[in-house]
Amino acid sequence: MFRQSPARTLVLLATLAGLAVYASAGGYFAREIVVEIAILAILAISLDVVAGFGGMVSLAHGAMMGLSAYTYAIFSVKLGWPPLPSALMGIGASALFGTAIGWITGRTTGIFFIMATLAFGQMAYTVFFKWRWLGGDDGLGGLSRFDLGWLGIKMGDSLTFAFFALVMVLAVYAAAAWVLRTAFGRTLTGIHTNEDRMRALGVSTVVHRAQALGFSAMLAGVAGIIAAQHILYISPEMLVWTVSGEVLIVVILGGLGTLIGPLLGAVIFVLLKHEISAYTNHWHIVIGILLIATVLSGGRGIYGQVEHWLTRRTQPAGKTAEAPDA
Amino acid sequence: MDASFWILQFLNAAQFSMLLFLLSIGLTVIFGLLHFINLAHGALYMLGAYIGISVAAATGSFWAALILAPLAVMLIGAVLYFTLIDRLRGAGPMNQVLVTFGLIFVFLDLVRMGWGDVALGLSAPPSLAVTSDILGVKYPSYRLFIIALGLAIMAGLWITLARTQIGAMIRASVENGPMASAMGINVGRLFFIVFCVGCVLAGLAGVAAAPVTSATTGMGISILIPTLIVVVIGGLGSLQGAIAGSIIVGFIETFGAVLLPGFAAVLTYILLAAILVLRPQGLLPARGH
Amino acid sequence: MLEVRKLCKSFGGLQVTRNVSFVLEPGERRVILGPNGAGKTTLFNQLVGTLTPSSGDILVQGRSVMGLSVSARAREGLSRSYQKNNLFEDLSVRENLMLAAAAGQGKARSIWRDSFRDAEVRETVREVAQQVALTDMLDMPVRSASYGSRRQLEVGLALATRPRILLMDEPTSGVGPTMIESFHRLLHSLPRELTVLIIEHDMDLAFDVADRITVLNFGEVVFEGTPDETRGNKVVRDIYLGDWQANA
Repeated sequence: MFRQSPARTLVLLATLAGLAVYASAGGYFAREIVVEIAILAILAISLDVVAGFGGMVSLAHGAMMGLSAYTYAIFSVKLGWPPLPSALMGIGASALFGTAIGWITGRTTGIFFIMATLAFGQMAYTVFFKWRWLGGDDGLGGLSRFDLGWLGIKMGDSLTFAFFALVMVLAVYAAAAWVLRTAFGRTLTGIHTNEDRMRALGVSTVVHRAQALGFSAMLAGVAGIIAAQHILYISPEMLVWTVSGEVLIVVILGGLGTLIGPLLGAVIFVLLKHEISAYTNHWHIVIGILLIATVLSGGRGIYGQVEHWLTRRTQPAGKTAEAPDA
Repeated sequence: MDASFWILQFLNAAQFSMLLFLLSIGLTVIFGLLHFINLAHGALYMLGAYIGISVAAATGSFWAALILAPLAVMLIGAVLYFTLIDRLRGAGPMNQVLVTFGLIFVFLDLVRMGWGDVALGLSAPPSLAVTSDILGVKYPSYRLFIIALGLAIMAGLWITLARTQIGAMIRASVENGPMASAMGINVGRLFFIVFCVGCVLAGLAGVAAAPVTSATTGMGISILIPTLIVVVIGGLGSLQGAIAGSIIVGFIETFGAVLLPGFAAVLTYILLAAILVLRPQGLLPARGH
Repeated sequence: MLEVRKLCKSFGGLQVTRNVSFVLEPGERRVILGPNGAGKTTLFNQLVGTLTPSSGDILVQGRSVMGLSVSARAREGLSRSYQKNNLFEDLSVRENLMLAAAAGQGKARSIWRDSFRDAEVRETVREVAQQVALTDMLDMPVRSASYGSRRQLEVGLALATRPRILLMDEPTSGVGPTMIESFHRLLHSLPRELTVLIIEHDMDLAFDVADRITVLNFGEVVFEGTPDETRGNKVVRDIYLGDWQANA
């Protein structure tokens, strides 16, 4: 069961504050990195909701993000809608896509679910890759950011945009943490632990899983809007399955099922990528080895491992293992 | 669109189908035996191509490459088996997907380090670097060789599975692993053998494909998805399934690309999604799945 | 309350349920007896919807539930416990009961309220924990609880949905005499209006709690009657009870 422990709140706020300081103190490059982290973190948090708490390992989250970005582009660039309603359409499209995938794959689990999400994600990728009206494989430019001039906020400024992205991380985290602590989230964890029993208790698990994937896709859609407004250009590369694979790596490195771990994972992943890239072109091998090492060492990830140590300290081993017989 | 067009596309589709078959058969039997999913299978294909190019350069012989590179890939596979794969048996699909996804990254960069990030070609042996006349259509002999190679291996595997003792053991283990273990079949050792054969075939496919497509660092990832689709469509663990799946995907992709450009790629994914939802066991599953 | 009409089920050529019919009155306690392989669990699985019968009908309060899914039948008030523990292993005893109680009260889906803080859910959990004697173990992780406690939780989960019809599949399977004793007490403590159908191996328990007994053999109802009639019935004794005692 998800618990928003004080430690998690502390890590969340400290990480966001640290990133805000980094963006303020650093130059343009630091702000680009912060936005990149924010997009990846939102995507990873949204994936953790379904993978960590619902057992649904999706390889379609990149596609969900991309679908949101493209829908935003369709409404704002092609149809001339203002940015805010266009963004809502994008997020809505992504949520619908996620719900549909969840509904159709309702009874598939394990590797079949992973394959099915891969198929639907690649389907979306191929559609945008081939769709000339939206630029096909060249991508599409001419996007614009939210106009918050009436609030005195200049979104065109790189520092402002970095702050905006961080606020969205906080909002997405809060939404995810909220839902996981409601009846809906409790039931989702129940389905993850024992779907068969949850069904026998009267829960339509297929509907529940579809809604959970829809919610997760909605959050992924937020990442898509920020990504689209970040460099004001989108390309089908956002949707390709390896993007989803990277997001999964981030979740695993940070700590599956901890919600805060994915944020830390995103920070480490992006910083590592840029640090290693400064020395060598071969950052993939480092990430690959890190990933393998994480899984083989128990798969708890960074935050999961820390939490594991902390609980072992406060709760000496064996205390709960002996069960008094009734 | 005259007859020669159809013949040409038919041969192209057959050639692609055979490559897919070589890749998917190892993957599907490994999956059937222990429900192990190996995303790095495509990376082994890529390694086969690059090692083959180096062997050919060193020995001056394509045939040496075609024999030695798959064996080298098998050695790499055996090392992988004892360091990683064996530990991941029964570790659940997510851990297997993650570790083998990590391996894709590792091999990708290893190949970049060893061979650079440029496309490398491999020339077909002189005896095959000509065109043949098939029903009035000029077609590269080398591609016909790939089709023949695929058919020969298909037949060989069929006979092995249907007629030999080890084939019977593999079939029994795929159909009912626990029962096979109870009867004294060492499923772990079978798995190792099948894994090695899968590596050899992936390496072989890599060398065979190199003269047609050139070796690129992206080739492993781009072949992986169609291969997985073949495995799922055909049905996990079955030779017939791998054959049927390879032919279906090979023909849909080839004919789709020329007849319905833009829609073809989506077609395969729609087929995959439909199979997963309506018939998750695949078209021709091994019994017991 | 629960009516089964001419239920048949076959797997290939094998008939596992043959023309089974019976009626449970509201509040009735019915025990199904039968040797291993008599088709008791198969019958159960058809009642709750995990298996589809080949023919026949199942009615709850006069309405057919044949078209309903497992979860929809549970929402109609049909609740089951399993012969093999089927729990939420990663969670605590309390969380297990909370999930069941929330599902039973239709509070499993809200994205605004926390079912675990709901007063009614908590009250149900408190009551059920008392009924199945798990009050002292509510915060224990299920995986570290003893087999007996898990067995009690298995029944507790079925009870926590507050069903109208409770189906119990061998609740005393694998537990010792003291625990069987506590199941006697549990069954007697159940509200009188609850209809209960139990598959049972333990004869004493069956004769103690049952209003009526149905004997199943080779998928067929071979006898139905009160405990006294069952004891006195020669057919039952010959083909079944004798064999039973020989085994016991």
